[in-house]
Amino acid sequence: MKEIFKITVSLTAVCIVASLILGFVYAKTEHARKLNEEKIEQDTIQSLLGYGKGKTPPSDLRVYPVYRYVINSAEGETFLGYVLPLKDKKVALVKMDLSGNPVKVFPIEADLSSLSDKATRDAAVDAVLPKGSKSVYAQTIFVADLGDKRLGYVVPGITQGFKTFIKLMVALNPDFTVTGVAVTYSEEDPGLGAEIQKDFFRNQFVGKTLDFLKKLTVVKEPLPASYAIALDPAKAKKKGLSAEQVKEIKAKHVNDNIYALTGATISSRALTSGVVNTVKKFVYRLDKLNEAVKKDQLSIAF
Amino acid sequence: MNRNIKLLWNGLIPENPIFRLALSMCPAVAVTTSVENGLMLGLAVIFVQVFSSCTVAIFKSFIHPRIRIPAYVIVIALWVTVIDMILPVISPDVYKKVELFVKLIVVFAIIISRLELFASKEPLVPSFFDGLGMGIGFLFGLCLTGAIREFFGTGQIFGFDILGFNPLLIMVLPAGGFFVIGFIMAAFNYIEYKLTGKIPSSGGAH
Repeated sequence: MKEIFKITVSLTAVCIVASLILGFVYAKTEHARKLNEEKIEQDTIQSLLGYGKGKTPPSDLRVYPVYRYVINSAEGETFLGYVLPLKDKKVALVKMDLSGNPVKVFPIEADLSSLSDKATRDAAVDAVLPKGSKSVYAQTIFVADLGDKRLGYVVPGITQGFKTFIKLMVALNPDFTVTGVAVTYSEEDPGLGAEIQKDFFRNQFVGKTLDFLKKLTVVKEPLPASYAIALDPAKAKKKGLSAEQVKEIKAKHVNDNIYALTGATISSRALTSGVVNTVKKFVYRLDKLNEAVKKDQLSIAF
Repeated sequence: MNRNIKLLWNGLIPENPIFRLALSMCPAVAVTTSVENGLMLGLAVIFVQVFSSCTVAIFKSFIHPRIRIPAYVIVIALWVTVIDMILPVISPDVYKKVELFVKLIVVFAIIISRLELFASKEPLVPSFFDGLGMGIGFLFGLCLTGAIREFFGTGQIFGFDILGFNPLLIMVLPAGGFFVIGFIMAAFNYIEYKLTGKIPSSGGAH
């Protein structure tokens, strides 16, 4: 009887000490880790838009965030809310019902840059909504403009991978053709599923149009050797392929389906369906959002 | 001092975790499709093994013998999580590469077996060298397996093209991992048999 107490106390003490250490380390590192994650996100967005490492983005490049919220009203109905940047540095929350009909526009008295902090933004959204509503942050879409021209969109998405979720980002041009795909978080197995992050796999999505994307599938065929070289910029450079040759090879394969990774068909399918669904949902949502903006005659910043 | 060097050598060849003890075979087969993957996992294991061995060696008198296994698991999980939290702050670039590997480590048989067999009985300094030796042995095993598999499977070493074609695609598939580790194990046993004249005793895989 005495031993069981000893064991219990001993194990509890071990657990408490371990959790105290973890708590201390977490508190010390949380802020720096968040900053790093934000920086990585910014870098990912820039490189997806074509201004990656070593390339300075032009001074008239503007990236506007659009925050999407899910709003539950006091009566138990569900609405969608978009936090939109307006001209003259104003911000507005557009509330619409689930089929996309705009309900109301609430002006938000805050600076757009201060809203990049999630806690501040959540509070600002809750403050303008009628009492009793609950808002939940869903995602951030980025709209990129170059001067007056629309450069494209960067849309985050999430999909079920082999073990856990895969978080991804898709860059689209104004015609909704894919210009880039990045995996921002995944726990796929190294050497197998983790290959989805490699250039030769991600770049297979580049150039796929919206119509083609809708019927895109994964094929279990080996990736053609010349295509594999063209997809990987480092390899193409080593093989001495000119930019035109790379373009030519890519153009030849632009209407190919996605070639599955050897030994990681599930991860290949997961990323493919993730990209397809992300783009499909985004195109639908953007359409509804544009309608709402037109109806309420909002002067949005982008 | 002499014993410490012996411990390092012991982990590298005579008791190599993969080829002699046959521990932690699952990650060894799954991850070693290239040298780089093997190197990253090996480095992550060295850190966790050394820190865990030292922690257990220092605090072994506080751990009740009946709950030593759960306590060891907590110690390993603690170090894995601490590394997982600190590394992205110190060096985000390195973390991006080893992130996946660090999270795999909690359930490695080699770490808990060294804590049980060595660190729970020995003082701090030998435990440190035993942990380091085992970690280096694991790294060596992963890199050797990874190099053979990458070379025959993709014709590359460290991502540099050497052959320019794939001689044996099966080598990068899971089945190839079993082949390579099996052949290296056989080579180890054959050399030992030639040197000592004794048939090596068998180990149990985990």
